Formats: sequence, C-alpha cells, structure tokens
Amino acid sequence: MRFKKPMISLVAASMLALAACGGSGTGGGNAGGEPSVNTKDLGNTGDGTDPTRKGPVSIAGAKKGGTVKVISYAGLNTMDPTEAYYTNTSSILSGLVTRSLTQYVYDPAKKQMILVPDLATDLGKPNSDFTKWTFTIRPGVKYENGDPVTAQDIKYGIERSFDRSTFPEGANYSNLYFLDGDKYKGPYKSGDNYKGVTVKGNTLTIQMAKPFPDMPYWGAFPAMGPIPKGKDDPAKYRQHPLATGPYMFQQYTPEKTLTLVRNPNWDPKTDPGRTAYPDKYEFNFQTPSAKVDQIMLNNTGDAANTLSYDNVLAPDLRQFSTQDKDRLILGGQPCTFYWAPDYRKVKSIDVRKALAWAYPYRDAALAAGYIDGITRIFDQGGNLMPPGLPGRTQYNPLPGHQGGSTDPAKAKALLQKSGNMGYAIKWLFATDDPNSVKAKNVVSDALKKAGFNPQPVATTVADLSTVREDPNAKINVRSAGWCSDWPSGGSWFPPVIQSTNLKAEGLGSNYPVFSEPSVDKKIADVQTKPVAQQPAAWDQLDRYVMEKYFPLFITGYGGVAMMRGSNIQGMNDDAVFGMPTWKDIWVK
Amino acid sequence: MGVQATEFEVHSESSDEGVVAKEVAGRSPIQIVVDRLKSDKVAIVCIAVVGILLLLGLLAPVITRLWGVHADQPPTKNAYDILTFDGYPKIGPPFNGFIWKHPLGLEPGTGYDNFARLLYGLRTSLGVSFFATFFSTVIGVVIGLVAGFATGWLDRVIGFVIDLFLSFPFILGALCLTPIITQRFATNSGALAKAQVIGLISVLVILGWMGLARLIRGQVLSLREREFIQAARVLGVPTRQILFKELLPNLVAPIVVMVSLTLPAYVAAEASLSYLGIGLTGVPSLGQTINNAVPYFSNYPLYLWAPVAAVAVLVLALNLLGDSVRDAFDPKTRR
Repeated sequence: MRFKKPMISLVAASMLALAACGGSGTGGGNAGGEPSVNTKDLGNTGDGTDPTRKGPVSIAGAKKGGTVKVISYAGLNTMDPTEAYYTNTSSILSGLVTRSLTQYVYDPAKKQMILVPDLATDLGKPNSDFTKWTFTIRPGVKYENGDPVTAQDIKYGIERSFDRSTFPEGANYSNLYFLDGDKYKGPYKSGDNYKGVTVKGNTLTIQMAKPFPDMPYWGAFPAMGPIPKGKDDPAKYRQHPLATGPYMFQQYTPEKTLTLVRNPNWDPKTDPGRTAYPDKYEFNFQTPSAKVDQIMLNNTGDAANTLSYDNVLAPDLRQFSTQDKDRLILGGQPCTFYWAPDYRKVKSIDVRKALAWAYPYRDAALAAGYIDGITRIFDQGGNLMPPGLPGRTQYNPLPGHQGGSTDPAKAKALLQKSGNMGYAIKWLFATDDPNSVKAKNVVSDALKKAGFNPQPVATTVADLSTVREDPNAKINVRSAGWCSDWPSGGSWFPPVIQSTNLKAEGLGSNYPVFSEPSVDKKIADVQTKPVAQQPAAWDQLDRYVMEKYFPLFITGYGGVAMMRGSNIQGMNDDAVFGMPTWKDIWVK
Repeated sequence: MGVQATEFEVHSESSDEGVVAKEVAGRSPIQIVVDRLKSDKVAIVCIAVVGILLLLGLLAPVITRLWGVHADQPPTKNAYDILTFDGYPKIGPPFNGFIWKHPLGLEPGTGYDNFARLLYGLRTSLGVSFFATFFSTVIGVVIGLVAGFATGWLDRVIGFVIDLFLSFPFILGALCLTPIITQRFATNSGALAKAQVIGLISVLVILGWMGLARLIRGQVLSLREREFIQAARVLGVPTRQILFKELLPNLVAPIVVMVSLTLPAYVAAEASLSYLGIGLTGVPSLGQTINNAVPYFSNYPLYLWAPVAAVAVLVLALNLLGDSVRDAFDPKTRR
C-alpha cells in the first residue's frame, strides 16, 4: 500500500512517525522518559482473525454526538473505492464510509488488528488449494440512498478492480490472482460479464488463477466492495462514493475539505466492526504541519475535538512526550522506506551497492525531520519486509553493513573497481519543502564524499509523486515507501519487484523498475506453495533477490506518532495502515 | 576714516585663506549632501552598520574559516553524532549552555553552524539586492528618460507598459515565475543554483523597475521645458547627448534617493520569497533560515531570532540611511 500521498520517505513534509506499542508486548515508554518504539514488531499488524464476530458493536462508556475535526497536511489522492490505495484514503474509506467483504477491528487486549467479517457472513470458505473462494453476503445492508446492496453489486465492484488504465493507482491483486486477471480489463473495456466471479442469490464465488490464501485480506480493501452499476462514472464517483458504512459524504472539495455525516441507512446490527458515535467528521487538508502541531499542543477550544493522523514534528516531540503523553498515539506501521535505483539505467550492481554504502541514512533522516529510532528505524536489518512480518529473519544483504551505517571509503572502492567514479545520481527533491531541501543538501554532500556526482532534480511537492511515477522521468533513483497490504510477503514482492508492463500500466508500484523473468518465476513459485510454507519461502526470496540483484536498499522502517485532542476517545493506532482506529472513536 | 577690510574677516581656528575660500566659492550639490550627511548622527550610525554588515557578508568565507565553523557541514563526521534522536544539537543552545565555538548554536536536523549560515545568508541577501537594485535602476532610468523626453506615441506606449507592469501583484508574479525557472533548469543541479539566483534577481527587477521609471519620467517632463534643454535642442545637440549629458546630472538626486530606498525593499523581498519557499535553495539565505526556524520557535528561539534580527537591522539601517540621504538632497529641509 502506498504511504500517505505525497509523503514518501524524505520528501515527507515532516511526516514523522513514532512507532511504538506495536505488535505484542507492552511496547512504548522507557525509564529515561523518552518515547520509544517496539522496533521489532513494526510490521506485525496482527494476524489474528475472528470469523464469527457479529454486530452491533458498542463501546462501554461511549457517548453519542459531537463533531470530530481532522487536520492533515496531505490531501486525498482519490476516494474512488476501486482506486484508493494510499494509507489515508484506504483507512478513511474502510473505517467510515465503504464496506467490503471483510474488515479489521482493533483488539485492545493484544493491541493488534483482527480480521473479522464485514459484508460477508464469515471470512470466506476456500477450497483445498485456495483456488476457489466462496462468500455469503449478509442481507439487510443498504446504500446511503436506501437501495439494497446485493451480491451482484459486489461482483461489479470486483470487476472494476481489474481495470488498470481507468484506475492506474489502484491495487492490482485481482489481476495477479483472479482467473483471467491478465486478460480481463474491467467492465468499461471488456464488458460486465467476467467469468471468474459467479453470483447465485446471496453467494459469491471467486475463481482464482493461482492459489490465493490471502483472499480474506484482499477482501478488506475498499475495492472489494459493492459499486452500484449505472451510478459509477469513474470521473464522478471519486467525488462522492455511495456509502454503505456509518458515514456518508456531505461535502468534498479535493485537497481542501471533506465533511462526513451520519448515514441513516447504515444498520449497526449488520456490522461486526464499526460504531457511529460522533455526529460528524470534518476533514481539513493542506494544514501546514507546524500549524497542526501547534493546534494539537494547545488543545484549546475546537482543538480538544480534533485529531491528526500526521506524525508529530521532530521539534515538537519533546513537548508532547513530556506534557501530553496520553494524547500522543504511538504505534507501528508495516512500512519500509527505500531508495530504488532505476534498474534500466543503473545497470551495475557495484554502483547500486556503492550507493547503499554512500547514503547517509541517519543524517538524511534527521535533516528531513524524522526521529531516529521512532520515525525512522535503522537497526532492524536490510530486508525488504519490515520487522514483525511472519517468517522474516533479519539480515543485511550488504556484507559488513549494519543498518543505517555509512562508509564512503567502501563506496569509493566499489566505484573505482567497477570504473564508475563520478557516476551521476539524479533523484527528486521539492524546492518548496524546507525539509526536502535540507535532506537534499545532506545527501548531495555524502554522495560527493563517496565519489558520486550528485545531480538532484528539482520539483515541487504538488508534482513530486506524478514525476516519480513517470517511467521516462529524467531521474535514475526513486525514493519510495511501501507498506504491507496484509501480513505476508505476498503483499511485498509482487507489487514491488514483479515486472510490470511499462507501456500499459506504467511502473505501478515497482519503483525500482525491476524486471527479471527468473525472479518473476520465483515469485509465482512461492505463491503456489502450501500456505504454511509461504512465510519462510518469502523470507528466502527476500534474501535471494537482495543478495543476487540488490535492486534497492532500505533507508529505514517506519512507525507513527499521531496526536489527538483531549476530548477524542477511542483513538489507537490501526497498525494495518498507521492511521487512527476510526471505528472506535467517540467524543467526550 | 574707512574700516579695514580685515576687520570683517571671521577668525577661526583653521587657516584664514581656507575659510575665506570656502565661504566665497560655491559647493557642488554632492558636496553639500556629503556635508549634511556628515553632521547627521543617524546617518553616520547607519552607514557604519551597513558597512559592518557588508564587510561581514563579503568576508564570510574568511571569517568562517578563521572561526572554524562551517555553513554546510556538521562539526563532527556525521550529523547524528552531534544531534539528539529528535534532531536537537547536543552542544550549545538551546538545551546546553552558550559555547564560543558556536556562538549562535547549531542548526537542528543538520548540525550546520548558524553563525556561518548567517554570514553567508547576509552575503546572499546583499548580493542579490545589490544586483537587483543596479539592474532595476539602469532599466528604470533609461526607460524613464526616454518616456519623459519622447512625445506622441512612444510616450504613450511606454506609459502603458509601465502601468501594465505596475498592475501585476508582486507576490503572485513571483509565485508564478519561479516554478517556471525551476522546471527549466530542474535537471541540472549546478545550473539550478545559478538559475535560481538569476531568476530571483530577474523577478525582482521585472517587478520593481517601474517606480524609478515613473519618477524619472515625471522629472524629465518638467525639466524638458527648461531653457537650457530648449537651447540644446535648438542648437541641434543629439537627443542621446541631451538625455545623458544634460538631463541625467540633474536627476542624480531622485536616483540616489530611490536606490537607497530600493535596496532594503529588495532585501526584505528576497527574505520573504525564500520564506515562502520560492527563493533560493542552493545557497544559504536568511529567508530560508527563518522558514526553517519557525517550527523550532518555542524550544529554540535563538535559531529564529538571529536571522530575523539580521534582516531587521539591515533593512532598518538601509531605510534610515535612505531617509537621511533624501533629506540631505532636499534643500528645503533644515536639520
């Protein structure tokens, strides 16, 4: 899943993340009073499931009413459920507005997320080799306009999820796993007659092209929800997706404001996960990060009913952790940030390895406003999969390299050996973001010391993700962040390093533009293994790809430090996204 | 009985001939101005302040080398050796006492020395504003002269052009022009730094030459009907000579005044644009430092106050100096 737009790695306008209290154990706090993070469990979003959970949900002591204000620097990329694939859009849609086959709920005892049913009556019934999944859709669910939600609507929503040209930024798991995923191109191009999904009354059956044991997790995506055929013009639907959840769109100005009000047609008895205590949600985007922090610190007036899912800025962390520790929500986020040299342009593995030796991990993170050990974690190895993911064994693909260490001498040696001294490195930075400029200066300096020729390419915050997504941009390194879509390597390797059809779909989320047919085959092999063997197999693939090809290197793992006003209750870290647990929020 | 001529002499400490010569001979306007400035205490102080800041800016590389500080490197091999986990410096302000090595402290997040960045930032501000003032003065004077002296359609056209440029809102104009320059030079980072400086100077000049042009045009319009100009025309003196040899010397006063007021305006404009994020990113700049320092204000106020004070002192000194110069040129003011 994409990290919050357009905050990726260094370009994040001080999107600091504090990761703590993730996964198991007590997490958080230490004797010195410094906030700290359980860095071993960042990726452990919890693999608990509860197929029998039923609605309605009630929270002891919660009061109905009140308006929750939400402020954030980033805008929303797209709110069309089929295409929403950033942590903020996915979390807001699935927490408040749209329902899917399954959903996550927060377990306060384990401090983890648990997968429970949503529109389906359970977590799906697979056949023996996970090539066929059957879901029974519960009755009595309605859209915000009173129309009933049918299994046919969900089939239509699933069909839409195949269309990579209408929804280029959406997740492509349907194309990867479902029957004819490589041929069917969605209802607008191939017609509304997809054979892989059959509907009989309330039952939905999905045929896979290869075993897909993670289908219940894919089922939690907004893309796996109902879309009413005929009312779904892609240009317009993103401005007002029809709500099946407790809240619906009242007003939406992209990049500026979003107001959600109660959906009178949401029946809590049909929903095993969500609650609807606040009357209204008011989102304000493009609030400058420093202002967000000041509002949350002051906590006066409206600020007491405000929350922000942006991370606390480094300058303000001390104040929060000393004065208002309980209003700081620390948590894990299964994200890895990395630098991806363009595999088509940077052909020498020695140059890529030299770059990993030359990159100033800690200094660049500090310059960009991250917090060492909380927002950017370096001491957990160099795997693509973040710590806490099942099956992950920590290792460093570069012999002798400790996570976060820099050695310009070794970089120079590698460059000299391969005859690449003075190799030009071109990466993007935003001129109107002071943190991006500071980080650019630090990185340029370090690269120069290591024998490279740094040539940073200027752009602006608004354009950055668009330029980065362009396969023909005049850069040869992309700075990116990727978050697990679910706790398995299956949501890492296919999206990040599997070959894409550049002409048809661009580079998708394959930021290294990596393409090796033998690796594609290995990925396919792991996906066909028995479920129990897959975690270890993904781990081995991680090592294999990193050691043999070294297509990218980790610049750090991430966590979150969100803030809430004193009247906001029930806000915890939803470690699946690194966003608030919307479903539990109420106003005191 | 006649009175001796010597009885009417004024006796003074200096030699008699010198005093008599000064009293009887006339002084040129420039000499009058200089004399008046010399006796104006505020002007002297301002000249001294501006001179010191100029020196600091020009000698920035020398001073930083002597003091042993760097504007673009942390004092240790890696920044994280000198910074805490959340980016604050481990030595000096704000959480530890004052140290001579880094009198204004280190920059959070990078470990660069603030004193060095202040000096280089002064250099940038002064450099940019001097060049911008120079070019906008030259352009403004030339266009003003031509517009004032010409008649008919040329005057109207130039007048229209001046009004057109005057109608552009400055900030919006700068906001629009700067990304275009960024885009054009985006891929060549060495050229980008230079392009940004040239671009900033161009933006300041393009949006600032009109004031002087209008002023000069007005002055020329009134001067051109005077007898000495009419005589020159009758004699057949070429227009260019009339403009530059006859009119221009009479316009020195408004030009000097305008220059001394434009300079601080450009310093402030450069700082504002850098603060807005559309200024310079390749070189240290006071506005950029102010922009970086705002989030740290509550914990690390020195980081913000130092560049703010530098900009304020510079702009104030230049403005007061400009005021004094204007007063010195005006024969009707008595100080």
